[in-house]
Amino acid sequence: MPALVLIPVLLVLPQLIHGGGWELVGQFAMAAVQPSLDPVVIQSVISGLGTTVSMALLGWAGSMVLGVGLGIASSRTVWRAVLGHGAPAELIRKLLAIPRSIHELLWGLLLLQLVGLEPVVAVVAIAIPFGALVARVVSDLIDALPTGNLNALRAAGAPAGPALVTALGPPLLPQLLSYSSYRLECALRSATLLGVFGLGGLGTELRLTLQSLNFKELWSGLWVLLAAMVLLETLLGWLRHRWSMPNRFTKKAMVSGRQGQELVALGAALIPLLVWIAQGQQIDPGALLHWQPLPPIGPPHWAELAGLNWPSLVGNTIVLTGLAAALAVGGAPLLLLLVAAWPLGKLLVRGIWLLARLWPPPLTALLLLFVLKPGVPTAALALGFHNLGILGRLLLECAETADRAPEQALISGGTGPSIALLYGRFSSLARPYLAYGAYRADVILRESVVVGLVGATGLGSQLLEALSSFAWDQLLALVAVYAALTLLGEDLSDRARHQLLETAHGDDQSQEVGGAWR
Amino acid sequence: MGKGLGGEKAGWNGTQIHTRKLPVISQRLMADNPGAPSDGGPGPALLELQGITLAGRGQQRLEAIKLSIAPGERVALIGASGAGKSSLLAVANGLIKPNGGTVLWQGAPPAKSRRQRRRQQARIGTLWQDLRLIEELTVQQNLNGARLAQWGWPKALLNLLLPLETGRCAAALEKLDLDQALLDRPVASLSGGQRQRVAIARLLRQEPLLVLADEPLASLDPRLAEELLALLLDFTRAPRALVMSLHRPDLLGGFDRVVGLRAGRVMFDQPVDQLAKDQLTALYASSL
Repeated sequence: MPALVLIPVLLVLPQLIHGGGWELVGQFAMAAVQPSLDPVVIQSVISGLGTTVSMALLGWAGSMVLGVGLGIASSRTVWRAVLGHGAPAELIRKLLAIPRSIHELLWGLLLLQLVGLEPVVAVVAIAIPFGALVARVVSDLIDALPTGNLNALRAAGAPAGPALVTALGPPLLPQLLSYSSYRLECALRSATLLGVFGLGGLGTELRLTLQSLNFKELWSGLWVLLAAMVLLETLLGWLRHRWSMPNRFTKKAMVSGRQGQELVALGAALIPLLVWIAQGQQIDPGALLHWQPLPPIGPPHWAELAGLNWPSLVGNTIVLTGLAAALAVGGAPLLLLLVAAWPLGKLLVRGIWLLARLWPPPLTALLLLFVLKPGVPTAALALGFHNLGILGRLLLECAETADRAPEQALISGGTGPSIALLYGRFSSLARPYLAYGAYRADVILRESVVVGLVGATGLGSQLLEALSSFAWDQLLALVAVYAALTLLGEDLSDRARHQLLETAHGDDQSQEVGGAWR
Repeated sequence: MGKGLGGEKAGWNGTQIHTRKLPVISQRLMADNPGAPSDGGPGPALLELQGITLAGRGQQRLEAIKLSIAPGERVALIGASGAGKSSLLAVANGLIKPNGGTVLWQGAPPAKSRRQRRRQQARIGTLWQDLRLIEELTVQQNLNGARLAQWGWPKALLNLLLPLETGRCAAALEKLDLDQALLDRPVASLSGGQRQRVAIARLLRQEPLLVLADEPLASLDPRLAEELLALLLDFTRAPRALVMSLHRPDLLGGFDRVVGLRAGRVMFDQPVDQLAKDQLTALYASSL
């Protein structure tokens, strides 16, 4: 159904095409098979990749430490066990919504203005919003665990802390690790994206080569990035499989047994590695404290602020989000269905999705501008394409682990492969997939800021403008509106998700948790 | 339910049957009885509930409960489902705070200081109907979970990584005729019967004075239920004591006392051999 959105988009497309850049697009496509192999280029690409991967790893590690700490601090179960009621958890949750609602790009650009171009900026820019997001997921995971075992240990006289760790730690750990591995993939994408906006690393190189129309060098960078991404995804997928971790749709952990030692050893090995990387990249957390002299902050211009066309800004942002989300959510199963009959086509779709995932949306937007006029549909295409890659991969991952029996029954009954796939396998995945799509829509809303660059009207572009012109009053107002919109969207998508999944928990144990002697 | 009880009063005296079935385990359990404070004299009751009232969702769940458990007593708690048996046990082990009345553990109210209250709670072991073993952890880690009251943070964390106190855990398994090789197995991989015994082994590790058991026999096949009952009755000889909720009056044999609960009130509290059939009928009668 969401695929129906393709029709209006396709209808608008001809009006947007300005026809000037087909030649460039051709050159771009040709360059894919003949990337520059100049040693200087390769070396700079590799070192750029090194920077990007380092930023991603450090930002990810920071976000995990922050997120787990804050996640525990914002869990109702934990506060109930320690204090007797969960009120502080609610407060911390509400506070964390603010850093979460602001995209890492905004954090990056803000910090860039404040402390200048320091390697630490990208790391912190990733760590803050990711950390807040991880905190939310961690606290949700903890609170979704049954509390029977916790109560049993408490009733036997165990202190709150050790009882929490013993009863909830083991079921939580595989879920947490699985989630954190997905976060690492996201961190790599974000680090690339931050690079596109000038924070260094491979992203910066990609943008520069694209703007100078040096497609061969661009493709050298792209192929290297592609290789790194495939390597990372394969490695993490293998680890998830090895530790029999849940995938994103089921969120149900299997037995981990006594793999705790292995995990602790891995964690311990990670710390010196991270320190080494931090030193290699000359990350200096102290740099965060040395603010650059700011241009004098003038009195706020309320009139000018009120003069902004708010309804259109907000409206465009929402339309952009809706279009991109529908493209991504509808496109993934549609593409899979179209190629279901040909194994080669499946491989092709897989490849396209891989590219879509790692190719930062603003670069797609720039590329689209060769042939399309700037505007909301162009930005939506860029954003939708990127998220299509992410959603498609998840869909494929789950479709492959799903039960094939109904599909085989259909095929043996003479049904074509596409229809068999649709009825046999997708139908059982539809609800979790749409639920995840609802979550994705909320991510897309947050991400809509990154395509503001291509001049699509919306809050994003206005924000970037305010940022570069040091209009702090405007910036503040825009960030506030953006955050409010994101939180609203989050709430909506949460509701949609709950409705789709109907996560009803038995309330047998709620009484026990509430009333223990404190 | 109460059918067939009439002429079989003698049959309730079934202790010998149970102990005969599992002589080896019984002897081991008896040998395990603690050298804990027991002068055999009429010390304070292990548990005393005085006028316990508990408000539930919309209705009273417990009303003016008065109950006292002395060392060595094995008390059966019977009543229809919803009569308040689980609530009563949860109040007794400190999981739920009553709205009114006093709970005394060994003559003392719940301590104000958390540390002392934990020490009190460590003397009360609970066997949960759903066992509440941590599936992801090994048997040994689960057994050690019972020692968290005594252990500090470092040992609690180490327990998640290393096998601690293997000797004592093995001894607890051995008393229940379980293979020591199970120590390393995750609980999730055990059979139903094995899990039941591991849960009891965890009780042994806790070394409680008072054992509270919430329908541990429900959902067990008859042979397993009798075995388990025999184990628990043996484990809770003086100076220990047992309170077990049951919904099968035919298993009352080994108990000393029976307490009947109906709609949150104590209907009767008397020695098992004085229980009359019409009392049971009244207890389980539909309120309509």
